[in-house]
Amino acid sequence: MSPPPTASALREQQAYVAAQAADARVNVELDTGDMTLNIGPQHPATHGTLRIACQLDGEQVISAEPLMGYMHRGYEKLCEVRTYPQCTTLINRIDWLGSFANEVPFILAAEQLMGVEAPPRAQWIRTILFELSRIANVSLFLGDMGVQVGALTPVFFAFRDRERVLNQIEEVTGGRFHPNFDRIGGLKDDIPRGWIAETHAVMAKMRGFCDEMEDLLMGNEIFQTRCRSVGVIPGDVALSYGLSGANLRASGVDWDLRRDANPGLAWDQVDWRVWTHPDGDSFARYWVRLQETREATKIVDQLLDGIPSGPIMAKVPRIIKVPAGEAYVSTENPLGEMGYYVVSKGGLGPFRVKIRTPSFSNISVVPWVMRGTYVPDIITILGSLYFILGDIDR
Amino acid sequence: MADGTGDERPDDQMGDEAREALAAELSELLGDAVVESHVEAGQNLWLRVDIEQWHAATTALRDAGFAYFGFLSAIDWTDAPEGRYEDTEFDAAGAGEDDDASSATAEETVRRGGGETRFQLLAQLHSPARHAAVLIKADVPEADGAPASVPSIIDIFSGADWHEREAHEMFGLVFNGHPNLEHIYLPTEFEGHPLRKDFPLLARAVKPWPGVVDIEEIPPELEAQLEAEVMAEFEASGAGA
Amino acid sequence: MALVDKVKLPKPLSWLLNFGRARSLWVYQWGLACCAIEMGAAFGSPRYDVMRLGVIPFPASPRQADLVVISGTVTDKMAPVIRRLYEQMPEPKYVISMGSCANCGGPYWDSYSVTKGVDQVIPVDVYVPGCPPRPEALLEGIVLLQERIQREDMQERWRGEPIVVPTSAPSSTRVPAPPGASSTASAVSAGSAQA
Repeated sequence: MSPPPTASALREQQAYVAAQAADARVNVELDTGDMTLNIGPQHPATHGTLRIACQLDGEQVISAEPLMGYMHRGYEKLCEVRTYPQCTTLINRIDWLGSFANEVPFILAAEQLMGVEAPPRAQWIRTILFELSRIANVSLFLGDMGVQVGALTPVFFAFRDRERVLNQIEEVTGGRFHPNFDRIGGLKDDIPRGWIAETHAVMAKMRGFCDEMEDLLMGNEIFQTRCRSVGVIPGDVALSYGLSGANLRASGVDWDLRRDANPGLAWDQVDWRVWTHPDGDSFARYWVRLQETREATKIVDQLLDGIPSGPIMAKVPRIIKVPAGEAYVSTENPLGEMGYYVVSKGGLGPFRVKIRTPSFSNISVVPWVMRGTYVPDIITILGSLYFILGDIDR
Repeated sequence: MADGTGDERPDDQMGDEAREALAAELSELLGDAVVESHVEAGQNLWLRVDIEQWHAATTALRDAGFAYFGFLSAIDWTDAPEGRYEDTEFDAAGAGEDDDASSATAEETVRRGGGETRFQLLAQLHSPARHAAVLIKADVPEADGAPASVPSIIDIFSGADWHEREAHEMFGLVFNGHPNLEHIYLPTEFEGHPLRKDFPLLARAVKPWPGVVDIEEIPPELEAQLEAEVMAEFEASGAGA
Repeated sequence: MALVDKVKLPKPLSWLLNFGRARSLWVYQWGLACCAIEMGAAFGSPRYDVMRLGVIPFPASPRQADLVVISGTVTDKMAPVIRRLYEQMPEPKYVISMGSCANCGGPYWDSYSVTKGVDQVIPVDVYVPGCPPRPEALLEGIVLLQERIQREDMQERWRGEPIVVPTSAPSSTRVPAPPGASSTASAVSAGSAQA
């Protein structure tokens, strides 16, 4: 059996076909004026209120400029007038699909300033919940990418199976969406009885979901032609734009903060691997995310089997006061590197919080990657970059 | 960890010795551009560079392998005139308990890498090959009450484009050489720079903290009555049996 | 429509019309923030299955919609857009405001860029509280709205906003007249409808 054509071979072939077509129409091409196409801010295919102003020449995009701010809520200013526990509530809502993962780097930064370390049991449960929110987040992408190319079935599967993960999160934290469960020095509560076995079962189901998506979408010929060698981002461009997460790894850069700059969670205790893909196209981004979801289920399975016993909270004062200083902690969130630069002057609330969100940097590559693509590809490329509006606009 | 227990965080993969070595190496590389470097044990590495050499320093760092752009932002170091707008009992209780240490905190112990200007530029660069990251800072001098313009690094890191627009919008910093320094988040007619400390939150100024005013004292006789009702219902439901 | 506009309908007939309207609501989804995902779960996921209530969640344009669910934070930059799309919806139209942010600003009550409630921009029929509300809560909001439509006096609802007709148009029997038009037109239209 011959191997499937590689992306570079496909690209060469497409370039050849395009050159032939350009030769053929050299004498008949009419001069068309540029057209401005406005997508959004409310559009069924953009999940969120992102607006893109495109300049078109026929079907081809000359320039695409994302216009943001329709969801700007001013987190950084609001954090300055809140106490640390109040900030956690707010920060939950930045990336609303993986809420628990948002809290963790902020709490870790505050812990770093206070010189507190959560007990091992709290760190393991933190890691489990972190990975569960990754699965809940990315599984929606895995289904939603189908909608971007016109396949409606996968998204129903995604919503169905995502509910199971949300149930598990809800059982521990009491919140489907915004758990607000992480505390400086540990966690609010321990896991309930019977939860470990249930979660094992859910993880098996989620692996089944990944297989389903592989059958339904990745093997699908239409999906492949719509996504292969579309929206290619080379590795050095990705680094220069500060892309992170699966978008970076799909461009062949082997960089994962869970492995490379672990800020103190239990990822180094289990056996897992970082997936990369050399192509850098939409398909590669989908592929990497699918593998990562599988990997996350394995991480959770291993962590569940080895939760150490012990307390769930370290000794912290009743009223949280953080000593003066600056700290920056970032973690590998479902969407990429999320970091909090916390400045404290001592007191109940932070003095300044700079929130480095992954989607903001991920979407900043859009003007670069859209140039020269065709109108139908705008939505697939956007979808494959995978952003959450709250994460862009903050 | 910073609390003097002596042992390194087990997960601190870089290690403080490597961090010190990196600080020394980068200080040598950048030469007189570096004003001060600071290593916080088990945490991060800060370099404060001369604002005039901001562009040259970032170029040198990129060529030294720090080619992965993290973020760029700024800090306004003045104290907000309104503080946190709150004088609740909770705040007062928190302030009274052990305020002697933190209220006397000198500015220099807060700022990692030092500096005394109102605005400071802040950026983070990664080196994927060395598994290291560096936070670079620069003091932004003020002229005529406004921050002086600073060099843009958009030609070194394309990703800095939006970050500089954001810093321009939020702090009013002007980046020389940025082609499109417009509002990124806020409507074009918006006035002011929200993340400056003197920008007031009007809703807070005119409205008390809703979490506090919601709590209403229940009169004691009503409370007794409510409790009696609940208990009667509880017993009627057969819970006593 | 003209008929409903002009005469007081007999109760069984208006009940029947209201019943039909309440159970064929076309929803235009306005997903803005976190709540959009819970709305998506309510509308798109098999577990909650909103279509059993007669709600059809996927019109492509506000011009086809009876109901809009504003779910999420409304910012000052977004508010004019919401107003404009609301104006494009045909009468009678209903609005559900979903989540604390759309109700009153929610956790962003002190933000410099958030509108403190979508009701500052458009009129709201049902508020669904929560941050975000569970899908079940949104379904209850829809049921409440349906009860409200069921009890509604259609005449009053239609008079809510005048329908503008060109004055030079012939007084055709089919053209809906603005409120306060001559009584003969309404008599003619009523007669023609009966025939």
